[in-house]
Amino acid sequence: MSQSPSPTRRKVAAQAPMRRLRPTTAREPSYSIVGSLLFHGLILATALITFHRSFDTPEESHVVPVDLVTIADTTNVAAQAPPTPEPEKMDMPQPPALEVPPEPHMQEVEPAPEPPVLDFKIAKEKPLPVEKPQPTKKETAQDFNALLNKLTAPEKPVKTAKAGPRVIQGIGAGNLMTADIADALKSQIYRCWSPPTGAPDARDLIVDYDLSLNPDGSVGRLQMTPGTAAHAAGNGYTRAAAEAASRAIYQCQPYRLPPDRYALWREINPLRFDPRQMMGQ
Amino acid sequence: MKKFLVLFAALAALWTAPAYAALQVDVTQGNAQPLPIAIPDFLGDPQVGANVAGVVRADLERSGLFRPLDPRGFAEHATNINAVPNFGSWRAITAQGLVTGQVTLQPDGRLRVDFRLWDVFGQSQILGLQFFTTPENWRRIAHMVSDAIYERITGEKGYFDTRIVFISESGPAIKRVKRLAIMDEDGANPIFLTRGDYMVLTPRFNPTAQMIAYMSYIGGKPRVYLFDIETGKQERLGDFPNMTFSPRFSPDGNQVALTLETGGNSDIYVMDLRSRAMHRLTTDPGIDTAPSFSSDGKQIVFESDRGGGQQIYLMNVDGSGQRRISFGAGANGTPVWSPRGDLIAFTRRQGVQFSIGVMRSDGSGERIITNGGRDEGPTWAPNGRVLMFGREAPGGRGSSIWSVDVTGRNERRVLTPGSASDPAWSPLIQ
Repeated sequence: MSQSPSPTRRKVAAQAPMRRLRPTTAREPSYSIVGSLLFHGLILATALITFHRSFDTPEESHVVPVDLVTIADTTNVAAQAPPTPEPEKMDMPQPPALEVPPEPHMQEVEPAPEPPVLDFKIAKEKPLPVEKPQPTKKETAQDFNALLNKLTAPEKPVKTAKAGPRVIQGIGAGNLMTADIADALKSQIYRCWSPPTGAPDARDLIVDYDLSLNPDGSVGRLQMTPGTAAHAAGNGYTRAAAEAASRAIYQCQPYRLPPDRYALWREINPLRFDPRQMMGQ
Repeated sequence: MKKFLVLFAALAALWTAPAYAALQVDVTQGNAQPLPIAIPDFLGDPQVGANVAGVVRADLERSGLFRPLDPRGFAEHATNINAVPNFGSWRAITAQGLVTGQVTLQPDGRLRVDFRLWDVFGQSQILGLQFFTTPENWRRIAHMVSDAIYERITGEKGYFDTRIVFISESGPAIKRVKRLAIMDEDGANPIFLTRGDYMVLTPRFNPTAQMIAYMSYIGGKPRVYLFDIETGKQERLGDFPNMTFSPRFSPDGNQVALTLETGGNSDIYVMDLRSRAMHRLTTDPGIDTAPSFSSDGKQIVFESDRGGGQQIYLMNVDGSGQRRISFGAGANGTPVWSPRGDLIAFTRRQGVQFSIGVMRSDGSGERIITNGGRDEGPTWAPNGRVLMFGREAPGGRGSSIWSVDVTGRNERRVLTPGSASDPAWSPLIQ
């Protein structure tokens, strides 16, 4: 035991070279070193501030609608937009009157058959105790949503276009002047759109709407295009898809779009909902 | 020159005038979420009304496509099903769908159930139905209401008014008692159909859900039997000296495809249930088994080890045109054709892992949708949108039945009395 160096001694031996260096540094103090320290400190502080800002930037870029509204020269009208308009202002089917409710499509079904009587003798069997299922991987709605959200990547952040001189007030769809508005509208609708995805033929789920927006971004008039209306009349999948799109449009209103360019977005036709990408088709 | 300037100014004014062309927008990405729906207890008899609404809420929630809202948060408490709801108060709690209903005991002793489905944003009634039944049948009516709501919102047929036949397992692993059992799709009303004197396996419904074909070891040899649910009668299908197994009804219910073993060779046959005539479809020396008809009854998918490993093959219903369609990793078996006709579900075995997959009926687009370790024996919901399968717990700790959406989402355990395996999903009850 006495032959092997103790742990303490080994530690001291390992530190020895460091201790030899210390006096050298201590003996030669210099203004250049102090200056160097100050200089590096400044660089470090600058870097920290700069990096801090650069880390913030991507997060801000996710706030899509806010970015977009800053395009406009005027104030953020959307933030002061009036609440959702009263139902009667909507050009939608009037709800049935209270006194005379509409006769719903009543369908009288045959009385359901009695539960089958089994001839097989099982009378002595004890009633089956129902076993509760094992708690599975947290099947909460949140988990389900999280999974779905993962599967459906959100729309790309909208490019923040710089406000430029607006020479042309109105022009046809799908050009540089309207691309940012289309993106802004999409980025606001997608959050509310949960299309049915079970149809065997995904093309049955593509629906077109003609949407008129009020200047405050609320829905003024909404109707299916004639093609979609005809398709939905004969196809339950298309009807379900059209109703899901309609729910999305109403749910996400009012839309925050640059008010000074209202002429560009007062009417959207066709506003197309196409879930094929979501279905991987 | 002045005129020219005026003309130029007029042209310039025209050029800058608003054109008001409509904007075109394509929305291609969404945010798939269950639909928030409010289903207050049905009016009328408080107990029955609460029971019916409770079953509807549970059905829709289980589908993963709906999110029934907690009734305690409802601001409006309607007293009349014929009154138009105050849509604003339902919008305020984020409901997008609203179901109002009532239950009434008729003078003739029957139970009447009415309901209306409202589109909260569209502010309109989109469905209204009325049912009559015997009071003890309220559960079936609740499932029918769920089916109607599901179909109206998704465009697809529902599957709640269905039953599951399965193998109920009890006792220790070395002396496991396996009994044929049946229950509602939500696990309610479980009933044993056999005593457990003999082992039973692979039950399958006929298209009217009144007949079950299954394999039993009565007499020590596995043979296919038919069980009539209404009468409780059972009979052996055909009188063969050798094993018969893996039965499956044709879509019209008039035929049963099954496997018959002769001289150590297993081949697929089709039996006409009226004439009891057998028609041989495969002659290969390999093991051909697990036949399943296409929804149009023109083709049969089956498994075979003729190529070395167990793989999935397709043939016409007369046995012609046999070809392999599964080329994925591992061994693939127990193919089941979707009632909708577009997909084939199967069991994939890779090493000790068993999982459930789906592929298109030509073998393309293969996807594995479960990874529970030992998942096997898929069966389709009648709408071809959901699958059930058996899952064996590791270490022989019993088995259970699970359901999963065809996309692989919304995997859930199905309530069963004790251990259960080998589920078969009925068509919609007629």
